[in-house]
Amino acid sequence: MAPSTTVSQRKKIKRKAPRGFLKRVFKRQKPHLRLETSGDLLVHLNCLLFVQRLAEESRMSAFENKCGVIKKEHVQAAAKRERGRKRGRQRI
Amino acid sequence: MAEAMADSYSQDSEPTTRTLLRRVLDTADTRTPQRRRSAGIGAQKSLLETPSSRRLSSSTKTNARRRSQRARSIGRLAHVQTSGHLEEQTPRTLLKNILLTAPESSIMMPESVVKPVPTPQVVQSSRQESIRGSLELQLPELEPPTTLALGLLAPGRRKRKLRLSVFQQGIDQGLPLSQEPCGNTSASSLTSSLNLTFATPLQPQSVHRPGLARRPPTRRAVDVGAFLQDLQDTSLALASPGNSLRTPVATLPTDTVLEDTQPFSQPLVGHSPSVYHSLPCLSYTEAKDAEKAVSHRTQRSGPKLQNHSPVKPAQLLAGKSKKVDALAMSFPNTSSAIAGEDEVEPLQGGVGENAEERMEESLSVSEVKDTTGTQGSVRTDKSDRNETSEAVEAKEPEGSSGDENISGRTASPELASSTTEFLQARQLQFLESAPPPSTAILSSEPLEPLPTRLPPRARTLGPRPRQDPHKTGLNHYVKLFSFYAKMPMEKKALEMVEKCLDKYFQHLCDDLEVFAAHAGRKTVRPEDLELLMRRQGLVNDQVSLHVLVERHLPLEYRQLLIPCAFSGNTVFPAQ
Repeated sequence: MAPSTTVSQRKKIKRKAPRGFLKRVFKRQKPHLRLETSGDLLVHLNCLLFVQRLAEESRMSAFENKCGVIKKEHVQAAAKRERGRKRGRQRI
Repeated sequence: MAEAMADSYSQDSEPTTRTLLRRVLDTADTRTPQRRRSAGIGAQKSLLETPSSRRLSSSTKTNARRRSQRARSIGRLAHVQTSGHLEEQTPRTLLKNILLTAPESSIMMPESVVKPVPTPQVVQSSRQESIRGSLELQLPELEPPTTLALGLLAPGRRKRKLRLSVFQQGIDQGLPLSQEPCGNTSASSLTSSLNLTFATPLQPQSVHRPGLARRPPTRRAVDVGAFLQDLQDTSLALASPGNSLRTPVATLPTDTVLEDTQPFSQPLVGHSPSVYHSLPCLSYTEAKDAEKAVSHRTQRSGPKLQNHSPVKPAQLLAGKSKKVDALAMSFPNTSSAIAGEDEVEPLQGGVGENAEERMEESLSVSEVKDTTGTQGSVRTDKSDRNETSEAVEAKEPEGSSGDENISGRTASPELASSTTEFLQARQLQFLESAPPPSTAILSSEPLEPLPTRLPPRARTLGPRPRQDPHKTGLNHYVKLFSFYAKMPMEKKALEMVEKCLDKYFQHLCDDLEVFAAHAGRKTVRPEDLELLMRRQGLVNDQVSLHVLVERHLPLEYRQLLIPCAFSGNTVFPAQ
C-alpha cells in the first residue's frame, strides 16, 4: 500500500502532539534556525519524557514530606534535581 | 435400506418434493426421534442421523447442483436434527404438515421456468415460503446456513416450518400467493433462487413487521375509528372528569411525539414554552389533532395542537380516550408489549388486562404502518402514554389509589409538555422524562429538566475569550504533568510547572542550535534530537530512540518517524 503522511484508519489521535505550538516556540527562540518535519515530533517525545520525570520527582518529594497534595515546593525541588542531573550528564 | 431408497429415488427423473416426501413418509423407517433420544448421545445418534440424513438428501436428490450443497447440508442436517430432537415433533409429522400446509398450486404455477431447474427450486421456494416466516421470526441467525442447504435441511426446517406454518397460516391468510411464483421463477443457481424466495416473501412479511416497510396510513384510519369509538364508549362509561384532563394531555405528547419521530418533523421551538404553560388547556381539539396525526402521520397536527390551545375540560374526556386509542393503535406490538409490562406492574391486574387488550388491537393496526424511525420514539412515548392511559383506567375502575392518581397526573403534564416538543432532541428528553413520571415524581420536577434543556440549544455561543496560544500549548503539557503526577496539585504548583516548562524549552532550543551548528547545519534534524536525548540519558545503548518512539508516541507518529518498508520496494519515510 502506498505510504502516506495522513493518519490511517482512525482519524482521532489520542494525545496529539501540539506540532504548531512546538514549531512556533522554536521559531520564536531561534528564528535563524529551521526545524525539520519529524523533528518536532521528537521534540514532543522529549517533552513527554521530561514531564514524566518531573511529575515523578514531584510525587516523590511530596511523599517525602508526607503531603497528599503536590505543592509548589515539591515541584521546585524536583526541577532542581532535574537540572542537576542534566548538568551532570553534560559532562560526558 | 437407505441406500436402496436412495437408488430408487435417484432413478426418478426430477420428482417433485411433494412426491418425494410422500415416498419418504411411506417408506421411511419407523425410527423416531424418541428412539434417537433414547439411544443417547454420540455414536448412536450420529448413526441414526446419517442414514436419515442420507435418506432425506437422496429423496431430494434430483438436481446435480444440490450435491455440492448436500455435503454441507448433511453436516447441518445432523446439527439440526440433534437440535430438533429436543422437540416432540418428528420429521414424519413435520413432513406431513409440510404436505398439508404447502399449497399444491405453488409448485405447479411456475411453468415458464426451465423445468429441471424450477422443480427443485419450486420445492425449495415453497418450503422457503413456509419457512421464511419462521426463519425470519424465530431463527434469523440460522438463515445464512439454511439458505445454503435449504433442500437438505429437511428435518430442522420442517420443525421450523411446522411452527411457523401454522402461525403463518393464521397471519398470511389474506396474503396472496403471488410470492410463490415470483420465488419459483427465479432461475439459475439454487442460491439465487433461494435468495429470491427469501426476498420476495419478505414483502408480505413486512406487513407484519413495521420496521421493514411502510404502509399507507389509510388502512389504519378505519380501524382507528372503530377502535376509538369503542374506547370512547368505555371511557365515557368511566367516571371522573379530572382524569379526562389528564388523559388528553397524556395522549397529546404521544401524538406529537409520533409526529416528531417523522423524518421531516417541523421544529416548533416557539410553541414549546407556550405548551408548557398550556398544559391544562389541552383540549378536545388537541385530541382530534392527535387522532388526525395518528391517522395521517403528518406534523401539521402539531401546529394544530398549539392552535387549539383553549379547550373545555368536558371535551377532554372524549378526546383523551380517542387519543389513547389512537396512540395505542399506532404503536407497534413490541412497544405496546413493553408498555404493557411496565404498566401491569404498577397497576392492578384488571387494568393491565385492559391495556393488553388495547395493545392487541393496536397491534393488528400498528403492524401496518410504523416505520422504524418512529418506532423507537413511539415506543417510549407509547410506554408513557400507556402509563397514563393505564393510570386513567386504573383510577376509574379502582377508584384510584393515591399513588396512581399522582403518577397519572404527573405523567400527564409531563407528557403534555413533552408533546409540545417537536425536535427529535426533545424526544430524547421526553424519553428521559418518561421514566420519572412512572416513578411518581412531582410534576414540577419533570418540567424543570425540560425547560433547562431548551436554553442550551437556543443560546448562541458568544465570542470565545482569546487565550494566549503559547499558554494554551503549555497548558497541554501542564495537563500531562498533572496526569502523570496522579496526585492532587495546587494551582501554584501548576504555575510552577509552567515556568519549568518554559525554561525547559529554552534550554532545548539552545542545545539543538549547538548541535546543529556542530554538524555545520542550519536546520535541526532528527539526528540532533537523538543526540540530545542521548545526552539526557534517555537514549543509551540498551534503549534506542526507536524504542522510545514506540513506547510513548501514538502509532501515527511512529509511522512518520521510524522508516518502514512498504510494497513496491519503497521505504517511508524516505531516508
